[in-house]
Amino acid sequence: MSRQVKSGLQVEVRGVSKAFVGVQALDNVNLTVGAGQIHALLGENGAGKSTLIKILTGVHQPDSGKVLLDGREMAFRTPREAIAAGIGVVHQERNLITRFSVAENITLEDPPTRFGLFDEAAAVAATRKWLDLLHLDTDPRTPVSRLSVAQVQLVEIAKALSLESRFLLLDEPTSSLTPHETGTLFAVLRRLAADGVTIVFVSHKLEEVFELCTHVTVLRDGRNACDSRPLAGMTRADVVRLMIGRDERAFAAPAIGTRSGPPALELRGVATGLGHKDITLQAHAGEILGLYGLVGAGRSELARAIIGAVPITAGEVRIDGKPERIRDVADAVRRLGIGYVSEDRKGDGLILAHDVAANIAATVWHRLGKFLGFVSDRMQNTTAAPFLTSLDIRTPSLAQRVGNLSGGNQQKVSVAKWLAAGSKVLIVDEPTVGIDIRSKAYLHDLILKLARDGAAVIVISSDMPELVMLADRIAVMKGFRLVDTFDNAREYTAASQRIMQAIHG
Amino acid sequence: MNAFRRMLRSDSLGLALVVLLGGAALSIARPEFLTAYNIDVILVGFCLTVIYALGQGVIIAIGHMNLALGATGCLVAVSFGGAMQVWGLPVWAAVIFGLLIGMFCGFVNGWLTHKSGLTSFIITLATMSIFKGISLGITEAQPFYGVAESVKAFGSDRWGPLPETLLVALPIVIGLAVFLGRMIPGRQMLAFGGNPSAAELSGISRARMVILAHTLSGLLAAIAGMMSVARLQLASPAIGDEWLIASFAAPVIGGAVLSGGHLSVLGTCLGVLIVSLINQALVMLAVDPFYVQVLLGALILGAVGLNRLRESRMGNAPVLRLS
Repeated sequence: MSRQVKSGLQVEVRGVSKAFVGVQALDNVNLTVGAGQIHALLGENGAGKSTLIKILTGVHQPDSGKVLLDGREMAFRTPREAIAAGIGVVHQERNLITRFSVAENITLEDPPTRFGLFDEAAAVAATRKWLDLLHLDTDPRTPVSRLSVAQVQLVEIAKALSLESRFLLLDEPTSSLTPHETGTLFAVLRRLAADGVTIVFVSHKLEEVFELCTHVTVLRDGRNACDSRPLAGMTRADVVRLMIGRDERAFAAPAIGTRSGPPALELRGVATGLGHKDITLQAHAGEILGLYGLVGAGRSELARAIIGAVPITAGEVRIDGKPERIRDVADAVRRLGIGYVSEDRKGDGLILAHDVAANIAATVWHRLGKFLGFVSDRMQNTTAAPFLTSLDIRTPSLAQRVGNLSGGNQQKVSVAKWLAAGSKVLIVDEPTVGIDIRSKAYLHDLILKLARDGAAVIVISSDMPELVMLADRIAVMKGFRLVDTFDNAREYTAASQRIMQAIHG
Repeated sequence: MNAFRRMLRSDSLGLALVVLLGGAALSIARPEFLTAYNIDVILVGFCLTVIYALGQGVIIAIGHMNLALGATGCLVAVSFGGAMQVWGLPVWAAVIFGLLIGMFCGFVNGWLTHKSGLTSFIITLATMSIFKGISLGITEAQPFYGVAESVKAFGSDRWGPLPETLLVALPIVIGLAVFLGRMIPGRQMLAFGGNPSAAELSGISRARMVILAHTLSGLLAAIAGMMSVARLQLASPAIGDEWLIASFAAPVIGGAVLSGGHLSVLGTCLGVLIVSLINQALVMLAVDPFYVQVLLGALILGAVGLNRLRESRMGNAPVLRLS
């Protein structure tokens, strides 16, 4: 194994198209990245970034078009082939084995052996060189589970480099880093680029893109909104316009909530078994409360506590002004009218293999059953059918499996089940992650409408523009505590500054 | 395309064809297959197997497994026999006693699985050993012969051409189909099996589902255990020893997904028929009975593969993750 970074690859994507059942994910997409360039790949969720990444890394094969490395046409059939060709990828989700040491992880693909046995000393020595290269001062014998998020990120990069990657794809590498850690990472990336490594950087944070990258490719609805343009001379507004196809919309929806009377949901000094401390917040009927925080700030965990999936250990919960104890999820859902649209649609929200009707009716079976707990398809369908039209859920029928619907429609189904349950307090966790732009706009309108119809809506989002646009009030979380709450005037610059101030100040 | 999909989706049509064609082929190859005696053997076997297969099926439906199914049936069988022979309980009381023991065994499986957070595989592996050990201990590995005459009669009497045990098996099959298809706890169980965390966040209690499914499984094992006593005319501590493979094979052949969320009762019945058809075929073709096990194992692998293929055709198989 060579211990030196090799000179970078020139990467070219020409006219690549890819369709999944019913969805044209990529349509004639181009991308040209010169050797040693740091190139930003931008686009909203659902614009096709991840499909493009998966094609570059051999997970998906393009329907048409070519991928060229140093001018040679490649047709990766598996991720392994892509790795062998020198493509390294660092994913948003971690791909390290946390119980293994750093050295074991880095040498996982090609462990050094002596007499047929794993040679730890050699692995440690090899690993140390890569860590040194990244100025990461960590003992290679440390289990990955003991590293900070930023260190893990750097280990992933070290691992990619150790596989002789000459082209690094970084998918939202900074989403869970502090500004300081981000600075360190950027310094490393600049150094690698100077050594000739080609880097494609995917991020939602435009400030970082301007700080780090020299060129940009923007995807929108699966097409190139721009193809490999130099960033010099472009403004933030230019990039946003390319991403969303119009100017950033200042959503001037008036504050709807009247805030008269007691809040629909109030937490007073709440602590949870997961480590939340002293959380005090109010959500009024007719109002949207935005909950912002970085990954790991404890937002979804707080939602789980409110829905009764995690015990609340101290403090007081009031529903409509009345102190209540949330016993379990069934209690929160049925008696207190709390609903939770999970961030992880597929993992926690929906039963993909079951049909639309059953998914929507799952929250209300206990109410549907009349005689001896019998429930018929007809009863389920009557419950579910109105939502197909009211939420514009595109499905051939109520009997369609939810797994066959598009992301946007799946999200609508997971909202519908709480509407069916008649939730008065609705927590919506990252509502628009991974869904296309039109569904996104629709979901935003839907959330506004839900509030207008009298629900207290808590929106959890890492998408700051989205939150600033939707929320009447914004609460900022950090380290399982609430660090700031303020009325949101829907003014992006001011709001984003206040949020960043709260998190980093 | 749509019709094709629906056919793929309906678990039972293809299976029914397999049963019919297999039966036809066998009766052509060996005309003695269609004798009354043979059909009777298949029916009697069906009545027993379908009950414990469903006992495994309800556990598969929540994505768990019950290795202790046979041991539960065994413990119930010897308790049932012992209650009549040693304690001299009347049949109705012994039956209730047996049912309670089966449900208790299942409850223990479910409760331990839920409380410990371990997989049901480990829990039922342990309880299998415990239940079996108790059965062998109280019987000193000898059968109880003091089975009431009415029980023996139930196991051997015919109702026209049909075995009387069908009077138990049939209501169970229908009842379970209604339970899973139409009743709220049944639907909740399938929802829980399809996606435990989604179901839990919809207000469906994890504890209740796990314990319900395991208790139901224990109940069905109990019924199968006592039915075995009636059929054998004695309460042997060897009852249940051979249930494991068939109990997985039948639901899986019938389209059950091992990760949970789906169980076809009709499919399971057809799965049982296919298993017994194969057994019969091999007997009639004078194949060494030991090789029957080889074939059953292969059948499970084939059925699991087929189910997986079907799932991925419909876009529900886990997507390949980037490594």
